Amino acid sequence: MSAFEASAPAAPPVPASFPPKELRQACDEIVARYPTRMAACLPVLHLAQKHFGGWISPEVEAGVAAYLEVSDSHIRGLLTFYAMFNTRPSGRHEVWVCRTLTCWLRGAAGLRRTALAKAGVDRCGVESPDGRFLVKDMECLGLCEVAPAVFIDGAPHTEVTTESLEQLMDACE
Amino acid sequence: MADNKPTITIDGQVLAYEPGQTVIQVAHEAGFDVPHYCYHPGLSIAGNCRICMVEVDGWPKPQVSCKLQPSPGMVVHTQSALAKSARAGTMEMLLVNHPLDCPICDQAGECHLQDYSYQLGQGEASSTTAKTKLPKNVAFGEKIVYDAERCIKCTLCVRFCEEITQTNELAMSGRGDHEIVIMTSKGEFDTAYSMNIIDLCPVGALTSRDFRFKSRLWFMDFTESLCTGCARGCNVVTGGRDGAMLRMEPRANAEVNQWWLCDEGRLDYAHVNGADRIASPRIKTADGVWVQATVDDAITAAAVALREAGGDVLLDGGCTLEEMLLARDLAKVMGGKARYAAATGGGDKFLRVDERGANAKGAEGLGLARATKAAAAAVVIVERDAHVPAALRDGAAPVVVFATDAASVPASARVVFPHGSWAERDGLLVNTDGRIQVINRNPAVGPDNIPATADVLEEILGELDPAYDWRGRGGLHAALRSESAFAKAQFPAMQSAGVGVGA
Amino acid sequence: MTAKKKASKKKAAAKGPAGSTPAPARAQRGADGVYPETQILSRNFGVEDSWTLAVAREQGAYTMLEKALATMTPAQVVEEVKTSRLRGRGGAGFPTGVKWGFIPQDSKKTKYLVLNADESEPGTFKDRYLMELDPHLVLEGCLLCAYATGLDVIYIYIRGEYPLSITRMEGAIEEARQAGYLGKNILGKQGFTVEAHVHPGAGAYICGEETGMLESLEGKRGHPRIKPPFPAVEGAFGCPTVINNVETLAHVPCIIEFGGAWFAGLGIQPDPANPRALGSSGTKLMGVSGDVKNPGVWEFEFGITLRELIYDYAGGPLDGRKVKAVIPGGLSMPVLTAGELDVPMGYDALQKVGSGLGTATAIVMDDACDMVEACENIAHFFADESCGQCTPCREGCHWMEKIFARIKAGEGTPKDLDLLEHLFVNIEGRTICALADAAVWPLRSILRKFRHEFLAQMPGQSDPALPAGSAAVGAR
Ligand SMILES: Cc1cc2nc3c(=O)[nH]c(=O)nc-3n(C[C@H](O)[C@H](O)[C@H](O)COP(=O)(O)O)c2cc1C
Ligand SMILES: Cc1cc2nc3c(=O)[nH]c(=O)nc-3n(C[C@H](O)[C@H](O)[C@H](O)COP(=O)(O)O)c2cc1C
Ligand code: SF4
Ligand code: SF4
Ligand code: SF4
Ligand code: SF4
Ligand code: FES
Ligand code: FES
Repeated sequence: MSAFEASAPAAPPVPASFPPKELRQACDEIVARYPTRMAACLPVLHLAQKHFGGWISPEVEAGVAAYLEVSDSHIRGLLTFYAMFNTRPSGRHEVWVCRTLTCWLRGAAGLRRTALAKAGVDRCGVESPDGRFLVKDMECLGLCEVAPAVFIDGAPHTEVTTESLEQLMDACE
Repeated sequence: MADNKPTITIDGQVLAYEPGQTVIQVAHEAGFDVPHYCYHPGLSIAGNCRICMVEVDGWPKPQVSCKLQPSPGMVVHTQSALAKSARAGTMEMLLVNHPLDCPICDQAGECHLQDYSYQLGQGEASSTTAKTKLPKNVAFGEKIVYDAERCIKCTLCVRFCEEITQTNELAMSGRGDHEIVIMTSKGEFDTAYSMNIIDLCPVGALTSRDFRFKSRLWFMDFTESLCTGCARGCNVVTGGRDGAMLRMEPRANAEVNQWWLCDEGRLDYAHVNGADRIASPRIKTADGVWVQATVDDAITAAAVALREAGGDVLLDGGCTLEEMLLARDLAKVMGGKARYAAATGGGDKFLRVDERGANAKGAEGLGLARATKAAAAAVVIVERDAHVPAALRDGAAPVVVFATDAASVPASARVVFPHGSWAERDGLLVNTDGRIQVINRNPAVGPDNIPATADVLEEILGELDPAYDWRGRGGLHAALRSESAFAKAQFPAMQSAGVGVGA
Repeated sequence: MTAKKKASKKKAAAKGPAGSTPAPARAQRGADGVYPETQILSRNFGVEDSWTLAVAREQGAYTMLEKALATMTPAQVVEEVKTSRLRGRGGAGFPTGVKWGFIPQDSKKTKYLVLNADESEPGTFKDRYLMELDPHLVLEGCLLCAYATGLDVIYIYIRGEYPLSITRMEGAIEEARQAGYLGKNILGKQGFTVEAHVHPGAGAYICGEETGMLESLEGKRGHPRIKPPFPAVEGAFGCPTVINNVETLAHVPCIIEFGGAWFAGLGIQPDPANPRALGSSGTKLMGVSGDVKNPGVWEFEFGITLRELIYDYAGGPLDGRKVKAVIPGGLSMPVLTAGELDVPMGYDALQKVGSGLGTATAIVMDDACDMVEACENIAHFFADESCGQCTPCREGCHWMEKIFARIKAGEGTPKDLDLLEHLFVNIEGRTICALADAAVWPLRSILRKFRHEFLAQMPGQSDPALPAGSAAVGAR
């Protein structure tokens, strides 16, 4: 799980205007699928995270909350519950390394070491100093028959080796 | 049990239940002490703390009694080996990451974790494992401090903000053993009722900034009383020590305040601990100098002054029914009328009402008029400046004044009596719904040995009216009962929760 | 990632128009003694562009929906599924027809189907194949369920880590809507109006638990609810709701095609002597992952043994290694040792040997696997994925992880093993949902079956009975 901030920020964030023009139609369509606005939270947050550079800032959080008529603490509660959301800047490339049993049996621990070294960080969940990578250790990604599995920017890579992971990460800008 | 109600058996006792009740409610009604953290009768059922587990015949697993619906003939054991070991197991889990800093925790003495861990015993090995670190000392607005390590994640506070105030400031965040409570990034509660979560919290995870570190509980005196912040008359317990009022907490009363208080009422006791409290009677000498006097001397002086001045009595809308009745009699003897004054405003859709005079309804019942503009009065009784503001008091130009704070005494006064705050007086108040309720004196609050205002009023009446017979509390209540407004009213026994009035 | 069909060399035979193919016969071990694969659910996996409506229709997609709408009442569909003895493929094995029967028919409320496509059970990847390679079959199963139980809206809850499944299912929904298989008065059937939407998860194992999934669907944290009330009465948005696994419903079109009796005749029959042994009828997608040469997913009639699955299909252990322990279905079931593999893959048979079918996707650990570290890895998973609401799971899972870490670091004592046993008792059966049980089962079984490996890692506890080298395994 990513680290989280416990104390409320000193000054309340200024809510981002949400949804932005580009997302307006998609968001409204999502809301229309459900009997409550709250139910649209997860799909709308997915769109928002993609649109706003891979993470949900306090401002976006407040904007989404206003749009869906829920409290910002509710949104924060979701962001910290679901592993795919980021509440901190996520680097230009997000690297997920599966850590669960099958992948671990097939060498995931080495992949994590490689990914962290490439990113130049000592633990998962923090952006690399150059802003290039965010390495996250994830639980089973459902690709166990082709383990070990890694996702880079939402795209799955399978039967990954330390060498192939280095190549994949080198190819990231 | 002739009325064919379905029954269950708890620890061998056959108990009737109402459909819709849960097993813990049936057990509690029958006096069984089934422990609970996340259960609260005023909130939805979460069933997450797992401390209320009981054994049910025919069920292999222990069940949480707070959620369990009885079915006819169900046989429940609260003290079987399985029930006890299940609860002890939960306790052990609750303590594995708990800081156990009772010596510096405000909750110590009323902490259910501390209580039950004492009852159930601490698990053997919990100390060998390093504890998880979580945020401490987090501000939840101006008034509340949160400690995530002490928090047992029962979600009572979150549910309160969702279900009772519907303001949703709080939410659970993180997951697994990193779950904590978070607050809206606005940083402040929208609700005027936030401090109820402190009472709800079964442990010391939510503490009041107002009360923090003020006193260990076992040094304090607690008294059942009412809040007099508005005419709702919420039922409370006042807590004091060494003359100071330290806190006020709600007492459950389904008909008045359920389990709650508003924050303003809860914190509205600055005047009780004011620096300028009047602690003894005073008399102004001919050359305008105030001297302390005995109660008897002051009563004599007051009688002399009032015989001369005569006229009305103006009193604080927070005065008790007894005080009001006596004031009305006194005014009659002086050839005047008694009037009352009280502030208004600040009502909401929940508990708070616009009428701030805690006994305004009582005053109306006694036929007292409401003072809205300045007019002469020989006697003024004032606890809160908000009710009897300077314009009214000074405009009345009274000669005898009963006041809580020296700053409320008009220049015209010649005799002054200390008037205890509501936390220091006994008597009856009629709330906004016409319910007669009781306030009780907390002996640890206020200056020592101040005379009761009702007693002083009776003495003065006796001085002014030779025919007056001392009535005391019993006599006064009898007189109140014969008032037409209260003819059908039920008078509560002192020290009880109050009973409704027909009208 | 397109689902990868590694094992099957055979091309799936096109099914052709409905009714033109005879009902597939029962699987028989061949002359070579090999238990054969079956292609009923998976018949289209090898077909090019199988996920498009055009191709799917060539293979007969939606003909069973047409058949049911034209010739069967909803009650008859439920009856057919009951006859089939189809059991839930999501792990718990609850009889599907019985579950459908719980939906109140007199309720005026909107009724929902929430298709459980969360598939976050570790080692499990079978539903992904169905959604990626035959989304129209999945949708047809959903529509048959909707018809049978009178549902109005279908939500397909797909874990967020399955982007291609999401795309394929959304594509299928769009195509189906345009072709009139979704929407108002489907296929001209008056009053049969159903909408379908994909709801993406966002990374939380617990949202596979049916009530955690409902909370998540409603836009909340996936905190499971206490049952009762059961979802059939009070599910999504407080309304009656059917929850089924993807594979469960994907079986339904075939049941309509060949009949419930045919399906019930496949696999393992119930044991008349044991009312709780409901049998394992039909076929099942089964998989193997971990320390084997040829991991993958195949369809079998129930009855193949775990050993056959691992050795005949998954290629057996890697060269020079030996199988040490196997979790037969996902991560949440007790392990079996190398000596316990001759058990048929079936709900009751696996339960009888102290484990469970779970998702029927086995994870194989070989002799290079350090069981202490494996336990730490497993405990970490459950501690990480515990939703946090109930005390024994929230505190207990993490506590267990800390103890395994301590043992791994060489700081354990035999007392820690007693403490673990004590924790198992206080975690299992004391919580709102079964995640806590699922955490206890593999850990307890490993601890009991491989106790010597734990003792071997404790200072001063060398065990002479320990086979040479079995605990001396480097960090992975
Ligand atoms: C912790 C936990 C995780 C679960 N995850 C899944 C899952 O990922 N997919 C699934 O279909 N069922 C899962 N289940 C089972 C579901 O709760 C439920 O039994 C199932 O969806 C019912 O469908 P079925 O009867 O068709 O199997 C899980 C259960 C638990 C306790
Ligand atoms: C004893 C028992 C009773 C059940 N009763 C109902 C029921 O009344 N209605 C219903 O929709 N499902 C019922 N179910 C099915 C469950 O909702 C659930 O789908 C199934 O047990 C899977 O459990 P899991 O989520 O723990 O894996 C019942 C299950 C069990 C074991
Ligand atoms: S919350 Fe209770 S148990 Fe915990 S430190 Fe405070 S008094 Fe002690
Ligand atoms: S702060 Fe108190 S009331 Fe709120 S969840 Fe924690 S223990 Fe419960
Ligand atoms: S509602 Fe009125 S009586 Fe109740 S606590 Fe608030 S101020 Fe006091
Ligand atoms: S058992 Fe674990 S996952 Fe399930 S509800 Fe309780 S805390 Fe959540
Ligand atoms: S364990 Fe890594 S994908 Fe399943
Ligand atoms: S009081 Fe029953 S589970 Fe918490």
